[in-house]
Amino acid sequence: MNKKPNHIQPTLSAGAFPSVHGMWKQHQSDAAQSLLPTGAPYVDERLRGGITQAGLHEFFGGAKADSHAAAAFALLLAWRLPESDAGIFWISGDKERQTSGRLYPYGLSAMGGDPARMLLVQTADLRDALRAAADAIRSKAASAVILETHGNARLVDLTSTRRLALAAAEAGVLALLVRGDAVPMPSAARTRWRICSAPSAPLPGNAPGLPTFDISLLRHRGGTAPFAARVTWDHATRSFFDAPLSGGLSAIVTDTETGPAARQRA
Amino acid sequence: MVEKQRGAMRLAACDPAAHALGLTAGMALADARARVPDLAVFDHDPVADLNLLGWIADGCERYTPACMLDPPQGLLLDITGCEHVFGDAARLAQDLHARLSRHGFTCRIALGGTPDSAQAKARYAARAISDVPVEALDGGDKVHKALRRAGLRSIGDLAARPRKPLAARFGKAVVVRLARLLEEEDPRITPRRSLPIIHVAQNFAEPISRTNDVLATIEMLAGSAALQLQERGQGGRRFEIRLFRSDGHVARLAVDTGTPTRDAALLMRLIRERIDALSDPLDPGFGYDLIRLEVPLAEVLANVQVGLETKIDTNAAAAALIDRLSVRLGAERVRQFHARQSHIPERAALERAAQSDARKVDWPKPVPGEPAMRPFRLFETPQPIEVTAGFPEGEPRSFRWRRHVHRVTRVEGPERISPEWWRHPRGYAPGNGSLTRDYYRVEDNEGRRFWLFRRGLYDEIERPLWYLHGIFA
Repeated sequence: MNKKPNHIQPTLSAGAFPSVHGMWKQHQSDAAQSLLPTGAPYVDERLRGGITQAGLHEFFGGAKADSHAAAAFALLLAWRLPESDAGIFWISGDKERQTSGRLYPYGLSAMGGDPARMLLVQTADLRDALRAAADAIRSKAASAVILETHGNARLVDLTSTRRLALAAAEAGVLALLVRGDAVPMPSAARTRWRICSAPSAPLPGNAPGLPTFDISLLRHRGGTAPFAARVTWDHATRSFFDAPLSGGLSAIVTDTETGPAARQRA
Repeated sequence: MVEKQRGAMRLAACDPAAHALGLTAGMALADARARVPDLAVFDHDPVADLNLLGWIADGCERYTPACMLDPPQGLLLDITGCEHVFGDAARLAQDLHARLSRHGFTCRIALGGTPDSAQAKARYAARAISDVPVEALDGGDKVHKALRRAGLRSIGDLAARPRKPLAARFGKAVVVRLARLLEEEDPRITPRRSLPIIHVAQNFAEPISRTNDVLATIEMLAGSAALQLQERGQGGRRFEIRLFRSDGHVARLAVDTGTPTRDAALLMRLIRERIDALSDPLDPGFGYDLIRLEVPLAEVLANVQVGLETKIDTNAAAAALIDRLSVRLGAERVRQFHARQSHIPERAALERAAQSDARKVDWPKPVPGEPAMRPFRLFETPQPIEVTAGFPEGEPRSFRWRRHVHRVTRVEGPERISPEWWRHPRGYAPGNGSLTRDYYRVEDNEGRRFWLFRRGLYDEIERPLWYLHGIFA
């Protein structure tokens, strides 16, 4: 004990209560990093406020055709960020653009986003895309950086995701990795989600309704237990809300003034 | 060298040895063969000649940026104000002669006060313009013959004559040309490239070849170019670097920026990116003996006072990032959305390079309470699908896309989008190619939302086909 220099004195008491100290440290770091709430009360409660704004998050599609849902969910999360001059970077490779089409600005604006803030970077391969993403995160010119990859890419591994995660934490940028139909592999992301499209609450005339997703948290570095929820995006408030798990239910409660269906109609 | 002229194979050019044997350009190949049976003959390739001339011109840009081709064999350099680097014009000519001879070119260099005078002196190997024959007037055979018959053989003979009778007899063009040959009128040459606004260069007595040395030189040049730009209150939009190799080859590097800049450090980052992105690395060979940095495009850039309390401008950071990515990946790979006047969905939105001067577009605001009527993703080419509809012209009941059957549970439509017949080359006529599309918003039993359309109405086409055009969130 007497070998230890004087200035680490505070850790001695912490050493006696490791769990308390760990919790305190966790609290400190969480307080320092601002959280981005989804807007859906149930999800935010489970996440203890929201996802870390300065961090990397991964989104997987539930099935092959759900890679679009994962991309859409990531994009909508980026729009939850407060309005600023900083752009939202969408980085994808030639292969992704060929298989899943291009972003369509009229559709983006109809969901409440501002297409003028979007910057599209299309790279020839994944190596360039990862490098461009890291540059965009570090530049402090972006409020969010979304990188879309398809398939099981060996380049997106623990090392490359850690690089992105560290850069995102340092620059305070929301970094979103859309993995499409890939199989989850170890990564340095703070959260990992599986996103599927979900049936929407129909509009009059049985028309398709607002964007609805089945989201499940697979992994959380902060220790939040995995959970599943169904959320719907409301473009008027630019926020998610909890959707009833049965899509058909809300069609019945159309004339009541409470509940998600009423908010949805408003 | 032979060329087909008026149906006969004729000599287009011959080397000194052939000249010694009495062959001349313009002689028929058969005649030449009769004189020299073992004549080596090659096809004349004027394009390759011109390319070679262009290559020489590139190398000549080490003397002056104002350089003009004078095909088939001439080059005109405007060295006004450039001689001092070599001492005087004669030394510059010597240097040029030495360089060209080293490559095995035979050349004649003449200096003149006007391009026409220098050109005539070089062409007729004359010391003074007065010795140049009247053919230099380029007036055509008739004019030359008439002048010679009148006893006027050289430009010197013509110089003393009054001009008005000459103009009356031979036309105004001859007199103008004469004035130019006599250096009385100075037409500027039209350079191959427009002259840069600013150019700075560094000569080396000993060629340098290490990349670090080259970069250090460019950095120094960028610094002095930045100073010049600052004096003018401008920032460069395009920077070009020319690396002149001692063996005559010229390598070019160009960097574009989205906003005017005179930040040497930023420029160096872009240039490094550019060099990294080169498909074949710079080959210094025996080294570079001249490096020049040019700013061909500059715009107004106000001097900014960076105060203590100013925070980093995100716009500036974004512009710098866009420039870096554009240089590394190519400008067309970093884009922004643009709107276009059209109601055909895929035509209404396009993407343009983010570096190009973007006009702010006001995108439509979402309608509260209405879901998105346009998909967030659109396929470049609509995806063909097989659709089962309840009845012709009816809504889709199910469809097969990418080997997966989607059962439609919710549907809204059709939204009818007519073709833009005014864009059609033959204007409007029933059934001339463009077909009406009926768009449907559908949701399948798994909750996925798609944008489908039927191409063609049943009265337009016998079997309309279905396509999937976009995906809703």
